[in-house]
This record gives sequence, structure tokens and C-alpha cells, in this order.
Amino acid sequence: MAVTTTHLKRCDLIALEGRYDSSTAPEMEAALRAAMDAGVFRIVLDMGKVDYFGSAAIRVLVMAFKECRRWNRGDVRLANVPSRVQHVLELAGISPLVTTFDEVVLAVGSF
Amino acid sequence: MGTLAYRESQPGKQSEMCVLSQPTNLARIAEFVGSQARRAGLDEDAVYDIQMAVDEACTNSMNHAYEGQGDGLVSVCCYEDETDFVVSVTDHGRAFDPGTVPEPRLNAPLEEREIGGLGLYLMRKLVDRIEFSSDKMLGNRVVMRKHRKVRPSGCQSPE
Repeated sequence: MAVTTTHLKRCDLIALEGRYDSSTAPEMEAALRAAMDAGVFRIVLDMGKVDYFGSAAIRVLVMAFKECRRWNRGDVRLANVPSRVQHVLELAGISPLVTTFDEVVLAVGSF
Repeated sequence: MGTLAYRESQPGKQSEMCVLSQPTNLARIAEFVGSQARRAGLDEDAVYDIQMAVDEACTNSMNHAYEGQGDGLVSVCCYEDETDFVVSVTDHGRAFDPGTVPEPRLNAPLEEREIGGLGLYLMRKLVDRIEFSSDKMLGNRVVMRKHRKVRPSGCQSPE
């Protein structure tokens, strides 16, 4: 489980790796919170190395969507979403609300 | 805090893992359920589904039944019968009635999403059958079943 944040010119890129259950989702929340506290509301989440994404992680994602999109100031966009995670986002009704990209460079370039 | 008890028996019989109600134990439980599910012949998609359902059930036990106190016991028991791989999750925390949890509003706009109830909703979606019971002696129990791909009896190779 690792969270790596890279500050880019137009957005922050946060790469998630490993398992995000109710014990580890707070680390993902802390990274998102740090970006937003620094005034960055355009965020790309690289999901390529995520093994598991439970309801606690989905809750964090929804919180970040709400906060970043407020007053049209930004968005959280997803890249490299593994098919099993995609399936769970669909079950949870999240996928219609999210913009996803096959590659990080496309997600970053979309801002 | 690690695993408190672990009992493994012959293939086809039940195996049980008992942990303290601390979310850091969830990864260990997922590993245990994964290995048992694979041994029962579930494919990788089905293994992921049952692991996730068990993860959500255990999270509910830890966060709701034991109200975040880390000194309760959560027991996870795996077995298989003729048609299904079965996992039961048992705790002895506050009694739980799934009927009182409202369904999440999955079509609501983002601003109105209340994410409570999502774990329960996903559990129901991820397994083929789920039963909840709550009993003073036996505790709260969730039993989840995932169908195994059983070889049709007419296809056995001749001896």
C-alpha cells in the first residue's frame, strides 16, 4: 500500500498502489486532503496498481469529487482503472459521475 | 494485533480464522478467504467478489457492531458444500438489523450522495445468497454463498 503525489503544472497526480480497505483508505484520504488544502482541486488518480478498492475508499472518492467540483473549481479524474475496480464503481453507481482515461497522460492532458 | 486463532481441517471441511476487531486485520482475512475460495474452485472474479463481500461484512462488525472498539472478536468461517463456497462472519457486538439500513440512492446527483449503506448494498450484489441473523447467544452472523462451478455428474471420466 503506497500513495505517491506528484505536483504537475496543471494538476496533482496521485498514484495509488495496493489495497484500500477501511484500514488503509485514510491514507488515500490524507493525500487528497493535502492537495485540496494546498488549493489544488484538479487531481488525477492513477489507479493502475490498485489491488482492492472497498466501500471505505469509494466514500473517500465521493468526498473528493464533491469538494473538488464545488464552484466548478476542479475535478478528480481517474486513469488506468483495473477492471475489477471498474466493476465495483459501476455497482456503486459511481461510474456515470466519473471521467476515466486509459492512460495517465490523457487524464493529465484533459485539464 | 495478529490472528488469534486459526484452524484448518481437511479439504471440504471448515476452516476458521478469528481476529480482534481491528481494521488492520482485514488484509489477513482477505488472504485467508482468497486461499480457501481458490481451493474450493472459484474463478478469480468470484474470488474477488467473495473477498470483497467478506471485507465489507467484517468492516461492519468492527465499525458498527463493536463501534470501533478494537477488543471484540470477529470470526470468519469458510466451508464448501455440494454447490457453494460459504463464508460466515460472526461477531458478538451490538445487535444488527440490516432492514434498518436504507438502500443507497445510486441515481442521486453527486451532491446528494449519502454513502452510508454502500457496504451492505455491495455485499448483496457480490454474492449469490446472503443471510443475516442476530441472536443473544450466537451473536450477529452473516452467511454468504457463492456458487461453485460443479462438474455435471454425467461428465465424469470412466474409471
